[in-house]
Amino acid sequence: MTAHTLSAARPATNGAVLRAWIASPLFLKIAAGAVLLLAWEVTVRALAPAYVAKPLAIARVFTTVISDPQFLAAAGATLGAVVGGLLISLVFGTAVGFAMGRIDLVERGMRYYVNSLFATPMVAILPLVTLWFGYSADARLAVVVFAAFFSIAVNACDGARSVPLEYLEVARSFRAPPRHNLFDIVFPSSLPYLLAGVRLAAGRALVGAVVAEFFISIPGLGYYILYNSRTFKHSEAFVAVILLVAVGVSFEVLVNWLTRRYLPWARRD
Amino acid sequence: MGPETRRGRYGIVMASLIAGAAVWEAAGHVVSGAFWAPLSATLESFLESARSGFVVRQIMSSFQLYLTGLALAILAGAPFGLVLARVRWLRVALENYIMMLYATPMVALIPFILSIMGFGFAPKALVVFLFAVFPVIYNTVEGARSIRPELVEIAYSFRTSEWRLWCDVLIPYTLPFTMTGIRQAIARGLVGMVAAEIFLSPSGLGQMIMMGSQNFDTPGLLAAILIIVLLGVALMDFGRFLENRFAAWRGV
Repeated sequence: MTAHTLSAARPATNGAVLRAWIASPLFLKIAAGAVLLLAWEVTVRALAPAYVAKPLAIARVFTTVISDPQFLAAAGATLGAVVGGLLISLVFGTAVGFAMGRIDLVERGMRYYVNSLFATPMVAILPLVTLWFGYSADARLAVVVFAAFFSIAVNACDGARSVPLEYLEVARSFRAPPRHNLFDIVFPSSLPYLLAGVRLAAGRALVGAVVAEFFISIPGLGYYILYNSRTFKHSEAFVAVILLVAVGVSFEVLVNWLTRRYLPWARRD
Repeated sequence: MGPETRRGRYGIVMASLIAGAAVWEAAGHVVSGAFWAPLSATLESFLESARSGFVVRQIMSSFQLYLTGLALAILAGAPFGLVLARVRWLRVALENYIMMLYATPMVALIPFILSIMGFGFAPKALVVFLFAVFPVIYNTVEGARSIRPELVEIAYSFRTSEWRLWCDVLIPYTLPFTMTGIRQAIARGLVGMVAAEIFLSPSGLGQMIMMGSQNFDTPGLLAAILIIVLLGVALMDFGRFLENRFAAWRGV
């Protein structure tokens, strides 16, 4: 009986180790990724025309594309516009949002405009923006700012309004100047809201930049995708999509990390 | 909080709306007609195309596209999210990819869809679907993650059937999160709709915008944008209403 158990125990542990490894999250994730890529490759080979992007073809052109100066210039132009637009929106959106959140008159006067422009799909204003800024990089920046500004303003406003009343009362009883009110109370306590706004704004800004490039046809990742897919170079075009996804995910991860690392009290969801 | 304060509150809002309309009107007279049109001309253009039934036709066409894509996204996304909520290993395997697709700017796929599927209704509905489906799945999975394991364990120890487990634990627990996803899907789907109508085959409100811009008909262009703005506001309010309606039982 003992001998039997012992002899059976060895292969059982090996099996258990193997099974534990298969059930480990990392293995599951990698396996799922492999299955998805395989399914994509097989489906496209079986059903779609030859030019349609598939993983192996993308992998083959990947290094050529990302070392192509034209692609790098496109990526730089798009990301520059996204980051620049986000910074502009962050500065002005925070100012407008705080003013709305703390001053009742401003809030009542601007609420309808900010809310309705926040709800407006930025694609709809493309023709208007090109009327004003011409078919230029400025138009792209304007679309990015339009896409990002209002989500930051709306969130900054919510944040400024969520400041605990007691804090402001304490500040008042110590006769704190308004400057201290703003930078020591309102700003820190609305930071979590601001970061949530930036997260939303970053995604929208990326969409805005790509859409503007489709419409305006100026060099950038969106135009790179448009041009290459029109000439049936889908694999090349898809490399640009991968870069966009990477940027979108990095924004998401970065903001989540910042919130967890520096604002541990803000874990509301 | 007497009636006077309330009147004051509405007074400021009304004043700001009237001031906005006045600035719009004045800007139209000061700036060249190629850049901006007065509010009166915009409304006139709207009424003119409303009288001919054009506006209604375009709105109906847009709605058909929007609702098809959105309905497919909800019908596919919510059950899929629930399955991921129940089957833990599948959720672990797929959650990072879902987060990735959630953060993907789906507009970037429009040129591929155009060159593979061409013109027509299906590719446009696909665009709306792609814009809308990932928020639904992503939020449902987030909700699934928040289900307390004790609940499922208790259900097990009472030998709950799989069906009752879904009805009494899984669905009630994840529904508020799914509603957040649907609210996001409502907003994103609208962006997808307009993008599809501008960049794929022109139709609906997107076509109205493009016609206004190509014919240098600024009042027509502004009228089309105004319709989309109002539509966006109405849909956003509706989404918020849905979310709040179901947020009540969201366990903290």
